[in-house]
Amino acid sequence: MEQTKELLVNMGPQHPSTHGVLRLMVKLDGETVTWCQPDVGYLHRCFEKLCESKTYPQVIPFTDRTDYAGPILHEMCFVEAAEKLFGEAITVPERAQYIRVLLAELQRIGSHLLAVGSMAMDIGAVTPFLYSWRDREKTYSLLERITGTRMLYNYFRIGGLRNDLPEGIIGSPNDGEDKSDQTFWGFVNYFDNYVMPQWDALVTGNRIFQWRTMGVGCLKSEDAIAYGASGPVLRGSGVKWDLRKNLPNSIYNRFEFDIPVGKENGDCFDRWLVRMEEMRQSSRIIKQCLQWLAENPGEVMGKVPRILKPPKGEVYHRVEAARGEVGCYLVSDGSPNPYKVKWRSPCFTHLQLMPKLCPGFKIADVVAILGSIDIVLGEVDR
Amino acid sequence: MDFLQERFPEAQIGALVNGDIEILVTKDEYLNVVKACLEAGYTYCSVVTAIDWKDRLTLIASLCRINPAEIDARNIHVKVDLPRTGAHVPSIAELCPGANFHERETYDMYGIRFDGHPNHRRILLPDNWQGGHPLLKDFIDKRPKRPRLVRHRYAE
Repeated sequence: MEQTKELLVNMGPQHPSTHGVLRLMVKLDGETVTWCQPDVGYLHRCFEKLCESKTYPQVIPFTDRTDYAGPILHEMCFVEAAEKLFGEAITVPERAQYIRVLLAELQRIGSHLLAVGSMAMDIGAVTPFLYSWRDREKTYSLLERITGTRMLYNYFRIGGLRNDLPEGIIGSPNDGEDKSDQTFWGFVNYFDNYVMPQWDALVTGNRIFQWRTMGVGCLKSEDAIAYGASGPVLRGSGVKWDLRKNLPNSIYNRFEFDIPVGKENGDCFDRWLVRMEEMRQSSRIIKQCLQWLAENPGEVMGKVPRILKPPKGEVYHRVEAARGEVGCYLVSDGSPNPYKVKWRSPCFTHLQLMPKLCPGFKIADVVAILGSIDIVLGEVDR
Repeated sequence: MDFLQERFPEAQIGALVNGDIEILVTKDEYLNVVKACLEAGYTYCSVVTAIDWKDRLTLIASLCRINPAEIDARNIHVKVDLPRTGAHVPSIAELCPGANFHERETYDMYGIRFDGHPNHRRILLPDNWQGGHPLLKDFIDKRPKRPRLVRHRYAE
């Protein structure tokens, strides 16, 4: 009887659907995947070694560049880790904490928009990708008014922020779509009333999209925990674990928001729904921040020494970034340079799931699974 | 944590700045400590990394417990002191699959070998990289320097 042979195919570093320079080695029997192994390192920029020769404020722009889709959340992780090392010596003013959470949730929306847009485009739905960019451009305009740059901000400082919000950026609660790239309330109203229903109608409720993603890449919850999954990948498998609720950093325990979870054996569609719902919850947190910020002026930078030399110690600080749990293991030996910075990246850990999730599915499903895990190669390789 | 103190009385237990527990063990006890943590519910391996103090390396494995009802749970960092060259420890990749890529990265960057790892190769650097292990403090970059600005003969 004739037999087919397994074919080793390289979804190479240059590929339109791998979200960057990721190499996936895939063994195929016909069209079914029997083995899949990612090969990373094509974007390794020696972040951890570089940080050892820079001072603490000089590391902050580098942390931006690890996750270029939602950089503020990674800055938050490093800045809060360094503040933990200082302990009582540095207090961050409350207004700075609220602005940090505001920008973090805005970035979470922007990053999820990119994730869902790219996943839809990889599966074949090309239109929603440009919807993501249309709305990300509005977040870029808002952030440019605040921080000065569109994409990689260098805005957080150890002890607070670089500058306060400009006049008029908060807006009033009945701002509409015409102000959605000038005021925060305009953006939030536009997002809730126009963008989310558009996504639901066009993609989430779309029969073809559901056929492509339901039942694909099923991940049980105990496997998700054992493989180190976090963020939407873990919550899509039914585990209600969110570092903003279970291990709150800055002032997340003051906000009211829900944690969406998928079902027990979560597939790509569950992870998609978790991301959609998380965007809605982020906009809820933004509204609560805006109400506080409009009423409470103040300063945004605490008292910090001119040259930052944290006392000797080690800290491992974890923050819920857009893709999962980002951790910074920071070791200080009393000098102005960090002794060691280890960046625990969620996407690096999620790539371990690829050999587990892909076998048994068709080669086209590999793209859907990779999109639902949502990797950003800057984070994976640092 | 209490169960660690009962089962491993001669290990040193301390606390990090934010309340995480660290336990310093010898290389022989490392696998037993990790198994004890896994049995106690700390099945989520957050990171495996190493620190290069100038005279020794310290391997760190962070384990956490994912319990949705628990707020402010602290990690356990299992630390092992190792010599700077020729260090090898048992791998926990079979017990805790989330440590797989992290152990490969620690081998890549520090040169610590993990016995029993299913895919013991370099991960971030190319497989045929000969320059050593970069995150060690005495690492020297031996790659040839590229010429920066070349002035053309006919330039003004």
